[in-house]
Amino acid sequence: MNLAPYAEFAKRAFSREATYRAEVFTRVGSVLLRVFLLSTLWTALYRNNGAKQGISLESMITYATLALLLDLIYGVNGAYVIRQKIREGSIAIDFMRPISVPLYVFADTVGQTGFALVQIVPALVLSFPLLGLMHAHVGGPSGGIAALGFVASVALGFLLNFLIDLIMATATFWTMEIFGIQIMVQFISSLLSGSLVPLYFFPNGLQKIAFALPFAGLYNAPLSIYIGKWQGRDIALGLGEQALWLALIWFAAMAFWRRGERRVVVQGG
Amino acid sequence: MAAAINMIIQASHLTKQFKSVRRKEGVLGTLATLFSHDYEFKDAVTDVSFDLEPGELVGYIGPNGAGKSTTIKMLTGILVPTSGHCTVNGIVPWQDRQANGRGIGVVFGQRTQLYWDLPLVESFRLLKAIYGVSQASYDRHLKKFSELLGLDEFMRTPVRQLSLGQRMRGDFAAAMMHEPAVVFLDEPTIGLDVVAKEAIRNFIASVNKERGTTFILTTHDLNDVEKLCARIILIDHGRKLYDGSIDAIKKRYGPNRLLTADFLTDAAGVDIRMPGVAVLERDGQRIRLEFERERVRADELIVALSRQADLKDVTIAEPELETIIRQIYERGLDRSGPAPQ
Repeated sequence: MNLAPYAEFAKRAFSREATYRAEVFTRVGSVLLRVFLLSTLWTALYRNNGAKQGISLESMITYATLALLLDLIYGVNGAYVIRQKIREGSIAIDFMRPISVPLYVFADTVGQTGFALVQIVPALVLSFPLLGLMHAHVGGPSGGIAALGFVASVALGFLLNFLIDLIMATATFWTMEIFGIQIMVQFISSLLSGSLVPLYFFPNGLQKIAFALPFAGLYNAPLSIYIGKWQGRDIALGLGEQALWLALIWFAAMAFWRRGERRVVVQGG
Repeated sequence: MAAAINMIIQASHLTKQFKSVRRKEGVLGTLATLFSHDYEFKDAVTDVSFDLEPGELVGYIGPNGAGKSTTIKMLTGILVPTSGHCTVNGIVPWQDRQANGRGIGVVFGQRTQLYWDLPLVESFRLLKAIYGVSQASYDRHLKKFSELLGLDEFMRTPVRQLSLGQRMRGDFAAAMMHEPAVVFLDEPTIGLDVVAKEAIRNFIASVNKERGTTFILTTHDLNDVEKLCARIILIDHGRKLYDGSIDAIKKRYGPNRLLTADFLTDAAGVDIRMPGVAVLERDGQRIRLEFERERVRADELIVALSRQADLKDVTIAEPELETIIRQIYERGLDRSGPAPQ
């Protein structure tokens, strides 16, 4: 398959995002605000209750800060454009081109995420002095393997996140509106992925549910590796589990997409 | 079917029937609709067949809801027919949509294929990558299209800031960038001013002539059709009504020409009694006549008129395609024209 068009799509998406310069400042600003609020909150909670579940205050602040940076990556939702294309009917034009629409949307998402990564740098750099003022700081990865594992885990999480967004966007073929589904999935995801609170702090039952769902692969897996909560075999198992979910959801997303496409092609939308 | 191999588009007995759940009224009805298995069927296109030779420029016309866009959707591969068959460039469109996509171009008057946020030229570059157009051909096409369509002045403007006329010119260039053998035009001049319409028509004619590109033009603007197409396919209620040349349909269904004569004196006394001529209207010094083109020669009619009073001015008008086609829609094909001889 010729990948040149998709590289071009990713490049365009990157430069398109770069044209909205004002938004960069607001996004970085909002990350900094949340870094400040969360570290204040966790510091206060730890002062009163001491270390939790083997996670030190320093690890917790590291966890919370990195989770905010992952938000920037996962928040891109490039697949959302499909909803608009279906509603406006312009999906028909994409179907007439010699390209795969999901792959095109993925390339666009990669480009947008590339730009999100560019924003992470200033957000991270500015976070350090901010946390320093509060006598807190973000620790580095717990070791070389942890660093590599973290990068691999974020990459898997990125793909997983894209496919979840793609599945929701595909539902537009039937429902025309996906706002409700989206809000619901986002709520469940933010709770059960470990993006707000580490899953280790959850009561036993809820923890089991969270670990059994794919959302844990978005935040819990990479951050557990980074702060050293997972070591050696656990890292391998965690990555394996993410990969397994990825494969499963990939099949589901593609099957769902083909059904949606067939609906348009056979029933005319 | 040996000749059929040369056909660039072949449609045989294309039929598309849409199935939808019958909607019930009221709140309870809406709920019931969700679980209903009570379907209704709508025939969008029924048994439509036609062949196109390479390089033809065909007007595909019909009133709203006649099945025009359903046919185009089947030919572009985004709709599977209920029955029947078609090939475009030798490919069955819906079986290999991506391969079909390489050989066709599409222009929608009501919908742009340009990338909204990007300058026009960026859309072209993206299309170059999508269709794998070589740098040399890209440069050549861009230069050519810029000349024909005057794209230079807004090449670097984001598409969202373009006027409708500029956007349409951009859309045309975009559709031709990969040198498709077949181009589908869906209402390409809708909402455009006279100048822009003329530029677009000239562009179509020139691409058709120079490259031998086949065009199917779907439109309500019969001026487009009359200026560009030698052949029309007329459909209504999903069925093909007519397929042939514009001249033939005019001869067959619009056999009369109109003559308006202005006299220097009052026309009340003018009386023409020639077979095949009918007086439509008298108005002071003016008289309007209708005459059969096959039976009456215009010059003889004018001579006859000038014998009766001093002529000031004479104009002769051809029947308009629009009038003829409206009659066909309203009365059906058989009753529109004179009885066949």
